Amino acid sequence: MGGQTGFGPVPAEDDGAFFHADWEARVYAIVRVLQRRGVINAAFDDLRDAIERIPPAEYLAMSYYERWLRAAEMLLAERKLLPGD
Amino acid sequence: MTRFAAGARVRARAADPDGHTRLPRYARGHIGEVVEVRATWQLPDEAVRGVFRAEPVYVVRFAAAELWGSGSHSVTIDMWESYLEEAP
Amino acid sequence: MSGEHGELPVAARVRRLEERLIAAGLATDAELDEVLDRVFTSASPVNGARMVARAWKNPAYRDRLLADGNAAAAELGFGAGAHGYLLKAVENTPTVHNMIVCTLCSCYPTALLGPSPGWYKSFAYRSRAVREPRAVLAEFGLELPDSTQIRVWDANSETRYLVLPLPAERADEMDENELASLVTRNGLIGTASR
Repeated sequence: MGGQTGFGPVPAEDDGAFFHADWEARVYAIVRVLQRRGVINAAFDDLRDAIERIPPAEYLAMSYYERWLRAAEMLLAERKLLPGD
Repeated sequence: MTRFAAGARVRARAADPDGHTRLPRYARGHIGEVVEVRATWQLPDEAVRGVFRAEPVYVVRFAAAELWGSGSHSVTIDMWESYLEEAP
Repeated sequence: MSGEHGELPVAARVRRLEERLIAAGLATDAELDEVLDRVFTSASPVNGARMVARAWKNPAYRDRLLADGNAAAAELGFGAGAHGYLLKAVENTPTVHNMIVCTLCSCYPTALLGPSPGWYKSFAYRSRAVREPRAVLAEFGLELPDSTQIRVWDANSETRYLVLPLPAERADEMDENELASLVTRNGLIGTASR
């Protein structure tokens, strides 16, 4: 992302809330628990890698925590950790 | 013994790697200076492929003019040893 | 809990994922709640501010902070979070102003600075901070003289930064608590002078 042009002004200061919706907090918690359990790499490398593999058009349209959610779902599916995937 | 010492001039590799890497695109191919030897850490590029290998990490400072052709600031990035090569 | 009327599809998707994880034994309600509890109650910029205030009042602490941020944080009872990243404090001087960004993903020392602001995670900040920091700072209302060199630090998961701003004038006349109240989250990131 560094140095890419065309992104315009930095968005104005928000209310400083950690999460803007309940579901974002739940995504954060899911990722942290999976990290602690070793399902996601301690340094988040595999989560980051999965985020990078989200097709660009979708990536740009997703919010921050939506990308985390999508990446977590990708990793779980790829590793066949959830029955029914 | 690490490959580079503080003060060394280094070039970030230009090649666009296939998979996940922590080498930011904007730094590729550019020359910077090693400010400090940070530590030895697992290489993320390989960790995502299940290969766990540790390498020294260097704190490398790049001048804005080098990165963007203009600007007077600097950008400092931690770089794994395999991201770097010697620069003249 | 039944679904709420008008609930976002993504919220339902998250709940479903949670249920599946719990059913598969990959997470428990207690673990999930514990993460959120910790994040909401103990992660705050007040922590970073207290470290800065102590450094302003106590030169020996300042030296320790610059040499080993993790140990300095631990002295005041703060940890670097579960992952255990390296915390580096970078000091502003009359001629150097430090600014932090994570271009690759938005890594951030949450335990010491509280929640990362939306702008820190934005594409705009992540792309422009390394390229035109002076302009970005001006948008934050911080105009630095040309003689001040800007040092941008691109953080990652393993190394996260905390800016040690310039001391407030008359810092020696105030106590640590008063000084800590002068330090803002943006000051700790480098988008404000303090």
